[in-house]
Order: sequence, then structure tokens, then C-alpha cells
Amino acid sequence: MIESRFLCARFPHLALVVAWRRHPELRAEPVVLGGAPELRLPVLAASAAARSAGVRPGQPLREAQQRCPGAAFVAIDEAATARLREELLTLLYRLAPTVEVGDEAAWCDLSGRHAAHPDGTGWAVAIARSINQLLDDDDIAVGVAASRLVAEIAARQAGPRRIHRVAAGEEAAFLAPLPLGVLPMDPAVSARLAALGLDCVGAVANLSAADLQRQFGPAGMDLWRRARGGDGVGEWQSEHGLGLSGPPRRLGERLVLEGGTGDLETLRFAVHRSALELGDRLRRRGCRAAAVTLVCELEDAEPAGLRITPLQPPGGGAELWPVALELLAGMRLTAPVTAVRLEVEGLEPGAGRQVDLWRGGDAAGEEIGGAAARLRARFGRTAVRRAELAVDPGDLPERRFRWAEPVAAEVDGEGGGFRAAGGAVSVPPAFAGPRRPAPGDGGERAASGAPMAAMPALRR
Amino acid sequence: MPTPLSEALATLRRRHGDAVIRSGDSLGGIEAWPTGLPILDHRLAPGGLPVGRVSLLAAAPGASGRLTLLQALTAIASRERVAVYLDLVGSLDPGFLADLGADLTSLLVIQPPSGRWGEGFSMARSLVVAGAPWLAVALPAAGALVPVRPGTASPGVQPSAPGSAAPEASPIASPGAGGSPREPRRSRPRPDPGWEHRLSTLVESVSNRRAVCLVSAASPLPPALGYAASLTLECAADGWEEAHGDVLGLRTRLTVVKSKVSTPGETAALLLRYPRPFAAAEAVGRPAVVDLTRTAEVDISLEVAG
Repeated sequence: MIESRFLCARFPHLALVVAWRRHPELRAEPVVLGGAPELRLPVLAASAAARSAGVRPGQPLREAQQRCPGAAFVAIDEAATARLREELLTLLYRLAPTVEVGDEAAWCDLSGRHAAHPDGTGWAVAIARSINQLLDDDDIAVGVAASRLVAEIAARQAGPRRIHRVAAGEEAAFLAPLPLGVLPMDPAVSARLAALGLDCVGAVANLSAADLQRQFGPAGMDLWRRARGGDGVGEWQSEHGLGLSGPPRRLGERLVLEGGTGDLETLRFAVHRSALELGDRLRRRGCRAAAVTLVCELEDAEPAGLRITPLQPPGGGAELWPVALELLAGMRLTAPVTAVRLEVEGLEPGAGRQVDLWRGGDAAGEEIGGAAARLRARFGRTAVRRAELAVDPGDLPERRFRWAEPVAAEVDGEGGGFRAAGGAVSVPPAFAGPRRPAPGDGGERAASGAPMAAMPALRR
Repeated sequence: MPTPLSEALATLRRRHGDAVIRSGDSLGGIEAWPTGLPILDHRLAPGGLPVGRVSLLAAAPGASGRLTLLQALTAIASRERVAVYLDLVGSLDPGFLADLGADLTSLLVIQPPSGRWGEGFSMARSLVVAGAPWLAVALPAAGALVPVRPGTASPGVQPSAPGSAAPEASPIASPGAGGSPREPRRSRPRPDPGWEHRLSTLVESVSNRRAVCLVSAASPLPPALGYAASLTLECAADGWEEAHGDVLGLRTRLTVVKSKVSTPGETAALLLRYPRPFAAAEAVGRPAVVDLTRTAEVDISLEVAG
């Protein structure tokens, strides 16, 4: 198995580099990007000299001028910055297969080996030198680690012209003494952890995943993964630039029937046993399954399979068995069965979330959202919907509304979202659908076979 | 000295917990969700709609006001909690709900693709188990006539079953009923075999999760539905309320025909005033439900969307 390695290189803002190329005399001067100070605009970036004077991105330009009166205020040349970003992207693609470039950082996937740089350190050095030569700047810090987040934190910890390598398996130890602020998290979560006296990453990493999940929901699971050196769920989306593969999401049990059989009682026994064993594994991992698939391997014929999205996600054998039985009842078998394969996917934390009594962010909204998502997965997208009033309805009454997904209109504020009984609460983005699984939720024993997407869905 | 009865009680408590056997006086009173409509909260039901039980709005097929009342109460509920609307009639107009003052962001609408009652009850149960505290169910008459799918040979309406009743007119004067014009026509809503079992599991979940469940159904009521309801209010139309030749609303009479939570037999008269957002300003700001039992019209604190 190829070990994952990621490189993060931090450099001055690309627009700042463009400004320095145009005005080399400003290299030693404090420079503030954003425009003239009389404009009512925020600071977009600042040079090291300006930052040392107290200028920060996001400040009003007028305040930046008060903090650093001698700074040069420069407008961003967006076209030149985009060209420089393209150059950097092209350069990095010559050295790494998967690359993402931001304004102040770039990430490369160093998993596997490079023909010209068999040594991982040499590969990282080559990338750092290439960036250095292109940008003509010495303030480049590089971090290399097994996860994207740890690589970025390592780059922040490394000084200029330094490469900070975090050995595989040492991510948690590297993060443990650092303050909690190095991890990206919601300010409300951060404040609550601080109130509990948890002030470093190691203290949070020592908590159990179940406790964090109960307190903070999906955000708690994200935090638990990050504190142990993993990447948060949100960064594993397929549309992400690095195209990283997500954690395993399936578990499976395969039971071979000697000689093949068409006897329904034998099949019931085999499926029952598979369901109990698979349910036991689900229970040990504390997971629930969003979808269940039953595949019957047939003698001299293509396997027959059915997939279902249970309305109540099973988390143990007793809950999984009725679902598996329903699948078996819906199966049309045309030949003797040589093996049955029961698989679960879409694993999510099984523990319920503690209801918040005195603050916003109730778990009820997440549960209802998850249930609505399961209904839509099973019965179609029009089965459960929410209506929205049209902005410009016109004269026809039937055009006054349009159907929308059952997702809160505002998921990041306090004013939107579904309200649970007892008061108005905000709902996190997880309302939109089932939660993603924790790393290590399973999959190593998942049976191979026909892909899930090819299975017909059972609808009752 | 322990008696056989006390020993049996002790055994049951030891095996199944203290909660399984309680004396009758420890069960407490009926918890109710106040609707904000005094006519319902103080006269027809004790404090409002009972929590953890099924309430029923029943009426003969035709314009009776039961769907309008159901939607007016759903609108009130959506302003303070997540409300789920199971639309088995297929005539829900969210614009009308918005006119009644509903918060559409807090309202989930279930429309089962197959139109089967049992499937709809299962879907609603999933949301109730997940924590949805308010459920409205709009049931059509078991033998209702439904529009023919586009493209079929016979236009108009067809009976869904032999010997069916007269066409059920929607009590809502809503040209947009049935959704946007691009909506695909849904399957015919119908009771399917086994829907009674799904209903009983829904009732059990409503009880366990302490949800409020209000069902609107046309008479004759299926026995299972009548049995499941703890409070049954019968709606009967008294005529249209008109002004200057224009229909302003529907006068209807509510009668408590069954109640496990209060004394049955109470009667009240209501005026269900249709919200008219495009009408003259004189109609805006009037209550949507008016108590006609009293001598004068009484504002019963139901807001009307302006």
C-alpha cells in the first residue's frame, strides 16, 4: 500500500510577488495590498515588514495606514497574478501528479515515488527550489506530512527556507503540544473547548470520538480526526483540487454455500447469519449504515443483487436482519445460489448527539435532515421537499413558489435553518444529508463484486 | 406479608423496569399544544391539540373547510417548530400556506411518489422518529375521483374505484393547487393493503416521540383511522361568506364527535376567511379563522400574511 505524503509550500501572496516584480525597490519596504488607503476597502495581503507593524489581512486600509504610515499601498494586478498562478501550476505539474495552488500556499501529492527523485526529501527539495526560482523569493516554508492539514501546519511552523518533515505516524505527537488555534474549527466550538480547559491539540486528541460527536455533532468528529493528524471530512470531497480518496465506507460479509442451493430456508439461514455477523461488526464500531445491499452469486449466471436505503439506519444485527430479509424477499433468483454477500455502506456514527439545552445548534435538526435525505435516497428527490417563495412570481399564482431541497436556507448563521421544538436554533451543513463516516469505519473486509451503483434499488 | 399481587408486581418491575406499571393517578394530565385559537384551545379541546396522540378533522366530501383549517394550523405550527405536511391529496399549494403565515423554511412536504397511504405513513413515521414534532396529514377520500394523467384517452375525472363517491372539491380556492405547471402528475392517492399496520406504527411513534399529529380525512372514515384518533372534529359547511358578490371565506361548523381527552359534543361555528394577498387592502389584516359562535366577530389572534 502506498503511503500518503503531502507537501505544503507557503510563500508570499502572489499579488505581492507581482508588485515586487514591477517595483523591485519595494522589496525591503512595507507593502500593503488592496489599493489606496482612502478607499473603504480591506487589506488583502501585506509584506512581512508591514505585518510586523501590525497590519493584517482584512483590516480596513485606513487602519493599516495608521498602523504603518510608511507603507506603500499597492492595488492588485489581477491579470498578472492569474498569469503567475498559471506559471506556478504548470511548474508544479512537472514535479507532482496532483497539485493545488492558492494565493499564499501550494499543495502537492508526494505519494509514491518520482523517477528523478527517488528520495522523498530530495523530491520536496526540488519542488521548494523550483518555487523559489519562479517567485524569486527566499521566504518559502515547506511542510511534508501524511495529511494535508498537518503538512500545512508543519509549513507554518517551519521557518523561511526550511522544510519541516513530519514522519509517518508522528502526526499526533507533532500536533499534541500546539495550541488549539492551529486547527480550523468553528469559533463556538473553540470557545466551548477553552471553557472546559482544553487548550492544546493533545488534550482534545485524548478525548473519545464518541464524546466529541455527542457534544458537537459532525463538527466534533471532524475535530477528532484533525487532532489526530487526519484531514477533516470537508476536505475529502471529490471536487477538491487534490482529488484525494475518502476513508473506506463499506463493510461486507460473504458466505459461500456449498454446491449451490435454491432452498429458501437455507438462504434465509445464510442471510440471517451474515446479518448478525455484519451487525455485530457495525455495533463494535459504533456505526449505522445508510444503505444495505444483498448480492446472491448464482451458478453459471450473473450475480443478482438488490440495494435498499433503510428508513431507520441499522446499527446492529437485530436491526439489519429485517432489512436483509426484505431484500431477500424481493430477489428474483434464476439459478442455484453459490454464495450470499451482504454489504453495508454509507457508515455514519451510531451514537446519538447530546441535545444542547442552553445554546444554539440543536441535534434535532440534523436528525430530521438525515431522515429526509434517506427518504429522498429511497423514494426519489421529489418525495420530501421544501417550498420557497419565488422572488419574482409574476401574475400566475402557481409561480409564486418553487420546490427546493429540504435544506436550511442559511446553514451558517443563527437566523436560518430548521427550528426544533423549544426555540430557534441554527443547523450545521450536515442537515443536507447523512453524515460522512469516521476513518477506519470499515471496508477492509468489504467483499468485491458488482459495484453498488449497478444494483437495482428495492422500493416498497 | 407479601401478597401474590405484590409479588407479581415486584417481579414485573424487576424484569421490565419501574415505568411499566404505574397507578392510574400517576399518569398525569393530557399534554396539549396550544394552537393560539381560543375556540380550539378552550372549547373543543383541553388546552389545544393533544400531544402524543392523533387528532382528526373529518368531513363529508365536498367543500367543508377541513383542509383549510388543517393548513391554517400547520402554518401556525411552522412558525415555532419544524412541521411536516404529508400531502396524500396532491393539492398542496405552498403559496396558500405562505398567505396563511406559514414559515416555509420550517415546513417539510412529503409527497409519496406512488401515492399509497401506507408508504406515506412510513415516510412520515421516519421523520417523526427523527424528531419532527408536528405532523399534518391530508388524506383524500378513499373513493375520491382524481384527474387523469396527461395523455390518456379520457380527459376529465375518473372514479378510482367502482362505486366511488362524488368528486371531492378542494375547499381551497387555489388555482395553483397541485404544484407548479412543470410538476409531473403524481400517482393516484389510494389506500393500499397493509396501510392500517403502517398507520398503527405511525401512531405508536407519535406517542413515543410526543409529537402532535393532525389528520384531515373525508367521511366515511376508515375504521382504523377513526379508532386511532383521540380527538375527532367533524367539519360541516354552513355556506359561503360573500361580500359584493365575492367569496371571502367559508362558514363551517365544528363538532367534537369523539374525544378521549375531553367531553365530546361541543360545537362551534367558524368563518375560514381566505387570505387574498392580491385583493384590496380591506381584506388584509383580518383573521383567517373567525369564531362565529359569539355575537360579533372576534379576532382570535391568528396572523395573516400581508
